[in-house]
Amino acid sequence: MRNGHADDIAKLIEPGRVDRRVYTDPDLFELEMERIFGRAWLFVGHTSQVPNPGDYITSELGRQPVIMTRHSDGSVHVLLNRCTHRGAKVVNERSGHAQRLVCCYHGWAYDTDGRLATVPVAEGCGAGFDKDALGLARAPRVGEYRGFVFASLADKGPSFEDHIGPMKGNIDDLVDRAPDGTLALDAGMHRYVYNGNWKLQVENVLDSYHVPFGHASTVNQQGVQFARREGDQKGAAVIETEKKQTAASWKDRKSFNAGNGHGWTSNTTLDDGKRSSPVFDEYKRVLAEKVGAERAAEILTPRLHNSLIYPNMSIMGLNIHVRVIKPVAVDRTEVNIYPIRLSGAPEDMNFANIRLLNVTHSAASFVQTDDLESFVRAQKGLQSHLTDWVDISRGLGAEEPDTATNATRGLATHEMVVRAQYKAWLGYMHEAA
Amino acid sequence: MALATRRLAVAAGIDRGPFEDFLIDEARLLDERRFRDWMALFAEDGTYWVPSVADQKSPFDQASLFYDDYDLMKTRIDRLEHPRIHVQTPPSRTAHIVGNVVIEHVDDGKGESRVGSTFMMVEYRDDMQRLFAGRQRHHLRRHGETFRIVQKRVDLINCDAAFEAMAVPI
Repeated sequence: MRNGHADDIAKLIEPGRVDRRVYTDPDLFELEMERIFGRAWLFVGHTSQVPNPGDYITSELGRQPVIMTRHSDGSVHVLLNRCTHRGAKVVNERSGHAQRLVCCYHGWAYDTDGRLATVPVAEGCGAGFDKDALGLARAPRVGEYRGFVFASLADKGPSFEDHIGPMKGNIDDLVDRAPDGTLALDAGMHRYVYNGNWKLQVENVLDSYHVPFGHASTVNQQGVQFARREGDQKGAAVIETEKKQTAASWKDRKSFNAGNGHGWTSNTTLDDGKRSSPVFDEYKRVLAEKVGAERAAEILTPRLHNSLIYPNMSIMGLNIHVRVIKPVAVDRTEVNIYPIRLSGAPEDMNFANIRLLNVTHSAASFVQTDDLESFVRAQKGLQSHLTDWVDISRGLGAEEPDTATNATRGLATHEMVVRAQYKAWLGYMHEAA
Repeated sequence: MALATRRLAVAAGIDRGPFEDFLIDEARLLDERRFRDWMALFAEDGTYWVPSVADQKSPFDQASLFYDDYDLMKTRIDRLEHPRIHVQTPPSRTAHIVGNVVIEHVDDGKGESRVGSTFMMVEYRDDMQRLFAGRQRHHLRRHGETFRIVQKRVDLINCDAAFEAMAVPI
């Protein structure tokens, strides 16, 4: 698969199945890094992570180390974290504040917009030394929507608007819950890794089929999951225990394919009409004060469970968070999950959301750990070469247009969204840049 | 300075023995997977906290690896005993070692004390062995002849690392 001929790659994807090599072939992984993570719009960070001039965070886009900075003029920059002199990683902290970004090796110093400011012993540089041409490399294209910063490492390709357009409503759904209309990703993060391919996590985000079995350990003898959110009277009904099968209300949930690999799943089976507690009621009151009771009720009636902004980010509407997927190797992936503070919400409400995320998505959580086990076992099982195909055919042919959202709709326990991800995957992969 | 503090504690007539015995017993309950007995060591207002950043000030405004009150601890243990907890199939085996015990503070009036110690926990599961290490601090309340835990705080030296799934308490 080293050469990545379009015909060879196209043979890996059939309407209801994919070849196991998409998860296991190191050469295909290299092509993915070039053709998907080297081109697609990728989520980098949120402007709240760099509120003041001189603030920075570091991250990885695929395997590329990057710095997101706030420059003295207020502009946000996405820079490659690699000294243009001898190649050392310039910034070694995950976040911080600096007037200049200074390489540890020979002391080349960059302004927070990436320009090379000073080099030690400048008189030793040759006559052709062009300081202006030696600024930190930058992501050729950067886009922002409601504080969410995305970058593409390619100078050509679909516009940011084309990419994010269908998912703006999903971002709005989250941001609108903040009484002040802004979010802050300033409450730390959960980091986990697993010995498995990155797509196992991406596919899982919109997979409602796995919940009753994969997360059986979180479901009590009445078939109800532990209560999750502040003010919930009980958890989601997941299993009908008498029939020992997935609850009808769970099976009725929908998933949506919005194109470009993006998609979302509709709300869970929680009874939001009964959601109430002193902390939640106070939040509701504050929100209503800002946006009016009618709009507040609309905002607090959840429409979405998980939303995937392909290929590297998801937003969860239930136990709210932003998730970033970072491929490390064909069989190794890191995931970062950021709790969200809703600006203007009572601190107790934010604290409740942060605490809930420990329970559901920390590396030691009740929910995520069983997913990680499934990813690791999938990677192990996929080594078997006598069965090359992975079945993703649930609901094939049952998709229908959803005119309200301009998306394609299916049942959430179907695999329409996984097929849609492979359609997008093929779109990125089938030709050289 | 730490040495001087301990000498003062000893000089004040505080015997480290009962505290050390308690910490050893606690670690042993975890290693024997007697999670309900382990939980019974906590006061009903007790918490179990594993921060996700060094010197974390609060469990409320920042993500934590674990921050369990009594109810959550119970849910966690119900899950650890569930027959279909995939991440414990097969189960973890652990071995703790606890040492360098320092009685940091004793309030005889309230019957409360703070005890610092260093720990290592080796975990083996499904062909993988890994090592956790750090400092822990127990806030204890006298309870008859023994103690109840008001808070157990575990500061892993790699608290901000990316972890593979962690299923059992440290």
